[in-house]
Amino acid sequence: MTAETTHPRVLVVDDAATVRLYHTSLLRDAGFEVAEAANGLEAVEAAMSTPFDLFVVDVNMPKMNGYTCVETLRSEAVGTAAPVLMISTEDRPGDADRAYQAGANLYLVKPVGAERLVRVATMLTAAKGPVA
Amino acid sequence: MGLVRKQIPQSPEEPAPPSATPDELIRRLDDPDPERRREAALDLDGMPEAVPELLARLGPEQEPRVRDAVLTTLAAHDTEAVAAGLAVHLASDEAGLRTAVAEALATMPRSTPALIPDLLAAPDHDVRVMTAMVLADLPHPDAQSWLARMIDEDPHANVVTAAIDALLPAATAEHVPVLQAAARRFPDDPFLQFTVRSALPRLAGTA
Repeated sequence: MTAETTHPRVLVVDDAATVRLYHTSLLRDAGFEVAEAANGLEAVEAAMSTPFDLFVVDVNMPKMNGYTCVETLRSEAVGTAAPVLMISTEDRPGDADRAYQAGANLYLVKPVGAERLVRVATMLTAAKGPVA
Repeated sequence: MGLVRKQIPQSPEEPAPPSATPDELIRRLDDPDPERRREAALDLDGMPEAVPELLARLGPEQEPRVRDAVLTTLAAHDTEAVAAGLAVHLASDEAGLRTAVAEALATMPRSTPALIPDLLAAPDHDVRVMTAMVLADLPHPDAQSWLARMIDEDPHANVVTAAIDALLPAATAEHVPVLQAAARRFPDDPFLQFTVRSALPRLAGTA
């Protein structure tokens, strides 16, 4: 958790504006501080300048897809150990394995309901302190 | 013809033409050096005889910068054969490949539209999700109609929400009924409900 706030800081990464709005609204209402990125590249740039307590990452995105994004977040260049929740429409065999190999902590298939998203985000950031 | 054009520099600033023959360039697509492969892929621009070779290497190629170069050269052809060769990768297990292919297909307004009816009927709902991504950026007069049809008819909620997201930037009041119908078809999908609920006030004020 960042020093400036008691609210866990989340970066929502998705190229779909409506998905970003949905996840951002739910997490803000639950007391998280939320920033947004429209693709993996923007997410990596944001992570290099701002510490986040949780990343919520889509898979299919232009410029840099979700798997590459998570690998880069975990790489030496960025080096974040913050939890990563991947949320995708993909539910083929092996998709979750690929997410975990990239460095994700949890892989969920859309749609993810409000209660579940908040519950999972709270669980993943629990070590960082309570959500207001 | 691209090859001829490249052999006649138009200005002193124009980069030197490739000295390699098409056969040499095609062989370089298998070079161990990714930069050599990337340059070869770009230098094959305008050479239709290289299309099958480029398509064949798209799946195995693991370097994103080489893959992007292959796609750039292929997309410039904008033929139905290229579009069909690319579309099979919308079902790829590799996220980077299927996303890059969707982006490339969206830049092929002459040939991609012929594939859309089959893509809309693809049995794999993930392919239909990727089709919504293609239609989001495809500069074609029917793109909105196809997206509206997906919203209205597709049985999978994730496809419908992808189509809604693709349509919304250009949606108007005329799309309100189709969005409302989608919300009624999927009453238990929280994201779809949220998306439609959020969009309706804005659309109600559009012409």
